[in-house]
Amino acid sequence: MTMNGDTAVKVVPVRHFGRWIASFFAVIAVAMLVHTLLSKIPNGQVACHTLNTVRTCHNVINWRFSWNVVFHYFTVTEILQGLGRTILLTIISMAIGITLGVTIAIMRLSKSRLLSSTAWTYTWFFRGTPVYVQLIFWFNIAAIYPMITFGLPFMHATFFHLNTVTFFTPFTAGIIGLGLNEGAYMSEIARSGLIAVDEGQIEAASAIGMTRAQTLRLVILPQAMRVIIPPTGNEVISMLKTTSLVSSIGVIELLGAAQNIYSATYQVVPMLIVASLWYLAITTVLSIGQYYLERHYAKGALRTPPPTPIQHIRSDVRGILAKFRTPRPTKESR
Amino acid sequence: MTIPMVHAMGVTKSYGGVEVLRGVDIEVARGEVTCLIGPSGSGKSTLLRCINHLEKHDAGELRVDGELVGYEARDGKLYERSDKQLCSERAQIGMVFQRFNLFAHMNVLDNITVGQTKVKGISEEVAIGKARVLLERVGLSGKEKNYPSQLSGGQQQRVAIARALAMEPKLMLFDEPTSALDPELVGEVLDVMKDLARSGMTMVVVTHEMNFAREVANSVYFLDQGVIEESGDPRQVLISPSSDRLKLFLSKVL
Repeated sequence: MTMNGDTAVKVVPVRHFGRWIASFFAVIAVAMLVHTLLSKIPNGQVACHTLNTVRTCHNVINWRFSWNVVFHYFTVTEILQGLGRTILLTIISMAIGITLGVTIAIMRLSKSRLLSSTAWTYTWFFRGTPVYVQLIFWFNIAAIYPMITFGLPFMHATFFHLNTVTFFTPFTAGIIGLGLNEGAYMSEIARSGLIAVDEGQIEAASAIGMTRAQTLRLVILPQAMRVIIPPTGNEVISMLKTTSLVSSIGVIELLGAAQNIYSATYQVVPMLIVASLWYLAITTVLSIGQYYLERHYAKGALRTPPPTPIQHIRSDVRGILAKFRTPRPTKESR
Repeated sequence: MTIPMVHAMGVTKSYGGVEVLRGVDIEVARGEVTCLIGPSGSGKSTLLRCINHLEKHDAGELRVDGELVGYEARDGKLYERSDKQLCSERAQIGMVFQRFNLFAHMNVLDNITVGQTKVKGISEEVAIGKARVLLERVGLSGKEKNYPSQLSGGQQQRVAIARALAMEPKLMLFDEPTSALDPELVGEVLDVMKDLARSGMTMVVVTHEMNFAREVANSVYFLDQGVIEESGDPRQVLISPSSDRLKLFLSKVL
């Protein structure tokens, strides 16, 4: 920094005292958390042993959070199978939800009143009833419809039959329940993305002769993605955890597997930690994926794309190093 | 007599009870430049948008290249054209917007090739070759990989012109192409348009640039409150207007 154009002057940054005090308390809080996570407590048992005819006794102590138990069960087959089911349920339900959501959003924006009110009603119903109720309903559908026949009503025209007893296994009931419910939420997210695209983009697409389908696919959706992705990432993470509800209809997913184990071993908290750590791990992977997906669809929206986390860390390190490095006198600052 | 490129007779259009066009007649000959001028709200943009059917006119006859816009006359009835037919009609008419409307998520090259490849079914290589020629013509060689947000308004508008030209239109519509530009950028866009006019392109230009109208246009239409108030040779109309409303308008814009 120079003053009067020629001499180098030391710049004194503003002191943020409030920030320093807050940082101090934050450090204390983090230290307390680490301390308690790593603390040990007596488990009520007393261990005695005899050495050179001297018998000594002491209280047995364990990790407060039973890390040894957590570690032991972290990769047992039941847990990994449950994890696999959780991931599968999340992927399939979200695929149904996103496809349905985009379709309903397009219907909702249709000029046909019938289509748009059908879409509105769908969202109203599936968003307005608890997903738990919907799951149990699909699980019990065979009681109402032992056989579902697709055809034109009142006309005795049938296309095909579906045997609900064999089709609606707990797993399919779970997927359909979660997928249909998700479709309602995704439709609102997709709609917000579609209406966020500037009207001028659509006019320009029409003006060069694109059909409505081309305009949607080549111009509107790619730009809507920028708005759609962050809340969709939220939905995926939310879905990951909502899949635990299907344990109520008999699908043993991650949390269900953990519960099965602790109902036999009574290691409730350690098993909940096992499940939570896995949920956190998948969420981390998903968040990283979301970040790069957002970056991809931000193309053209920003003049300079935001730095990747790695670039971020690198520039932070460079900044810290620069603080400690003594500035070498240069020709200008002489 | 050759068929005029654009022919409008008694065209009307209203939005929710407000009459924007109240019986407009215009005729644009092939290879000529026509400027539509008038105060804001006079209906000049609406008329332009009716020509490529971005807006549906309510009544009157509107023909482009001899064909009715948006309808087909058969057995004494008018049949509305299908979405697909409208698209192939529009593909032959280039349009340049006030707010550029470049596809924000595509780079310059993709903006110019997308219509060629997806609408006209031209191969990627041929489309890129054509795009490069057009970029050179509008003075933007080397900007192929830039996104619209990285360009100035004038550059964006020149890309928009190249995008429209890539479709090899028989008619170009300009909707206030320089109104959203900083004053120092207006010239570069007008230069491209003048060059285009010299090459024999039929152009309909809604503009507030009276100098451009005077220099380039073959005819000028002055619209006010949805009707053509005065029209004719620009040197005549713009220099010695006969109607009081045009006199008033010119005294404000010049």
